[in-house]
Amino acid sequence: MHMVSEITEQYLKIIYNLTEDGGAAKTNDIAEALEVAPASVTEMLHKLAEQGFISHTPYKGVILRPRGRKIACKIARRHRLLERFLADVVGTKGRSVHEQACKMEHAITDEAEKNLCRLLNRPQTCPGGRQIPKCQRPITCEKCTSADVPLSQIKEGEKAVVSHLVAQNQDELCSMLAMGFVPGSEVKVEKRIPMGGPIIVSLKGTKVAIARDRGDVLHVVRAA
Amino acid sequence: MEIALAGNPNVGKSLIFGHLTGVGVISANYPGTTVEFSEGKAKFMGMTVTVIDLPGTYSLAGNSDEERVATELLFDRKPDTVIAVLDATRLERNLVFLFELIESGYNVVAALNMYDIVRKNKMAIDVERLERILMMPMIPTVATKGPGIDSLLYTAVQMRRKSKFKVRYDSHTERMISQLEKLLKEEDWKYPLRSVAIRLLMGDANVTERAAAEPKETAARLREEFLRGHGEDIVVHIQRDRFGEAGRIAKEAIVSPAVAKKVRGIDEDFTIRPTTGIPLLLGVLASVFIVLVFGGGAIEGVLVSAWSETGKEYFTGLAEDAGSDLLSGVIQGVSLSIEAMLALVIPYILVFYVMLSILEDTGYLVRVVSLLDGVMHRLGLHGRAVIPMVVGFGCNVPAILATRTMGSKRERLILAVLITIAVPCSAQTAIIVGSVGKFAGAWWALLIYLILMATLVVLGLALHRAIKFEPSGMCIEIPDMRWPSARQTAVKTYIRLKEFLTIAFPILLVGSIVLEALLALNILQGLLEPAEPFMVTVLGLPAFTAVALVFGILRKEMALQMLIVLAGALQATTDLSDVLTNEQMFVFALVMAVFMPCLAAFAVMVKEFGTKNTVMVTLASIALAFFMGAVANAILSL
Repeated sequence: MHMVSEITEQYLKIIYNLTEDGGAAKTNDIAEALEVAPASVTEMLHKLAEQGFISHTPYKGVILRPRGRKIACKIARRHRLLERFLADVVGTKGRSVHEQACKMEHAITDEAEKNLCRLLNRPQTCPGGRQIPKCQRPITCEKCTSADVPLSQIKEGEKAVVSHLVAQNQDELCSMLAMGFVPGSEVKVEKRIPMGGPIIVSLKGTKVAIARDRGDVLHVVRAA
Repeated sequence: MEIALAGNPNVGKSLIFGHLTGVGVISANYPGTTVEFSEGKAKFMGMTVTVIDLPGTYSLAGNSDEERVATELLFDRKPDTVIAVLDATRLERNLVFLFELIESGYNVVAALNMYDIVRKNKMAIDVERLERILMMPMIPTVATKGPGIDSLLYTAVQMRRKSKFKVRYDSHTERMISQLEKLLKEEDWKYPLRSVAIRLLMGDANVTERAAAEPKETAARLREEFLRGHGEDIVVHIQRDRFGEAGRIAKEAIVSPAVAKKVRGIDEDFTIRPTTGIPLLLGVLASVFIVLVFGGGAIEGVLVSAWSETGKEYFTGLAEDAGSDLLSGVIQGVSLSIEAMLALVIPYILVFYVMLSILEDTGYLVRVVSLLDGVMHRLGLHGRAVIPMVVGFGCNVPAILATRTMGSKRERLILAVLITIAVPCSAQTAIIVGSVGKFAGAWWALLIYLILMATLVVLGLALHRAIKFEPSGMCIEIPDMRWPSARQTAVKTYIRLKEFLTIAFPILLVGSIVLEALLALNILQGLLEPAEPFMVTVLGLPAFTAVALVFGILRKEMALQMLIVLAGALQATTDLSDVLTNEQMFVFALVMAVFMPCLAAFAVMVKEFGTKNTVMVTLASIALAFFMGAVANAILSL
């Protein structure tokens, strides 16, 4: 994909935001969101339609075409990830979260986006409650491409890192966490007891016997 | 003043407790749970200090029975100081537990226990640094031998300062905490508001229940929002931050890590690998059995002969001097019940408890649970079912209570049925070993166990078929194997035996006196007559055994004790082989082993499963016992 200008990205993102729940985006709404005159919006929309990013039907509005959608998704994803980052980690408050994310979204690389996603532990929505579009990278990201497997898939003697926990109920989740099975902790499968017996894992020098089904609360990534 | 001992399981809390308090310990189940805690008194510079040993938990969040009990005890008793017993070799995880105690606003003193192993592993911990970071005293201790315990008590008694240490969570979490904190009112809570806010955020049921509507709803909303935003429970984030902080502190405090990575003991593999573990398990069970038969038998011999020369003679003399038949009967009853106690409870139950305690303390029992987990699943049982079952070999009452760790009510009922019918408790073991084992030989006693085992499997499979359920698995820490401590074994056995002496003996005494009185007044014979045809024709047992069966309902071991009492009363002998043949003893022991739950177990079952279920189980077990007895009698008399 060739580079597109920042302004193109901005437009596509806005159209994405406006059409996310279905329907078409009106020129006036786009102008309002971008805080520019409707006339210049119309001009830009013509350009985008020519490039094949959007299709523009007079009096109905604008919808994204696949090419445009792809870019829009990426930018919206970055924007919302950045909002999460600014709000949760940096501690930025109020409207400033959105404004700063708007500027940063065009600057970060694919790599940074991937790492940001991992750092924030795969957030699903932005602070405003909107869905964060799924990542479409060909880059293998250990979380999104489900490289994580349930603990029972790990062979005897192998090491793995806990990526997240999928528990049936709160008690189960909390008891695993309290024993130290938090995301990021390294476990080693010491022994798999036959006859359907438990898996013995060592975690920070402690051995724990976990029944196979219970062990699948832990989703882990094989250590390199 | 009051001091509470808190910590993870297997950190040596009970050993420290033993050092502080000696033997004058009471152990109690927390109301409404099976979870035990002990309480004792320590003397310190002329002061009496009450020490409470909390159940070992990984957290104070209240997500398991143990955690709930620990939290409630801390809440109710408001100890002046809490001693956090930490395993210094596993600093990181233990620090997380310490954080929770500090967060909850207790006066905390930490014991860095197992410091001998730290030294042995050439690990160096900068204790002063740790104290500075956490702003509280840390005292290295070796609970197995005693160093550090005195200074621990000294510090705990003097401790009047709360640590100002705070775990910093990420800014999003911190913001939610302070938002909740603002909604809480100081006067409503005994804990620092920050701790209440964190617990609310984590969805702690206990705290949520007590909270006012506004903070409660806000917390629920924040949790919900967080879950939607992150796809992960906030609990995960909070715990991750705690472990992160603990890891950083541990890294700073540990000057040099353990040199030799703990060599994995050969015992480790032996006990867990099925090819070696199962033969080993059978070997251990066999030796427990042999020690019980021979060791118990030897102690019994010594005690009984000592008794017959001293107390018995005294009572016989007393009985002869007594004017009326009734009075002499009563005196005989007292004498015989003391003898029954000496012949049964002391030798067999004491030996059993000593061995059970050793198996627990070495860490072997946990390995057995791990080894058998898969097999238990095949039987339609939970791996965790092993624990109530093993407990059931001691006493069915705690075993029935321990079924609470199982998921569903049905699962629990199945397990309780299996335990009451097919798992012989220590009293039933005493009957089997003390009658069949002693007179007919160990093989016959073993046969009874095999029959019970087969019953367990058949019954388990049948119930599993009848009631479908999906058991969920266990998750249990495997402690390092270690030598049992004589002191701990003694304290544990003492506590367990005390219950027998204080509850069983009075019932036995009254029962014996009543029986002897009935006998002296010639009423007993009349009462037995209706039972005679059934007992004699179906089970091939003499009629008087019916009384023993009836008394077996009060307490199982009393069946045999009563048998001895009755033999004494009817035939003037305390040697069972004079009144029963080996075959009769076999049938009797088998019937007793399957027979209805004792009164205490019955009461617990009613409480746990309702009267209807309990009565059904009881009737079924009586029918099954008589059926098996009749079959055994038919086969043996061929």
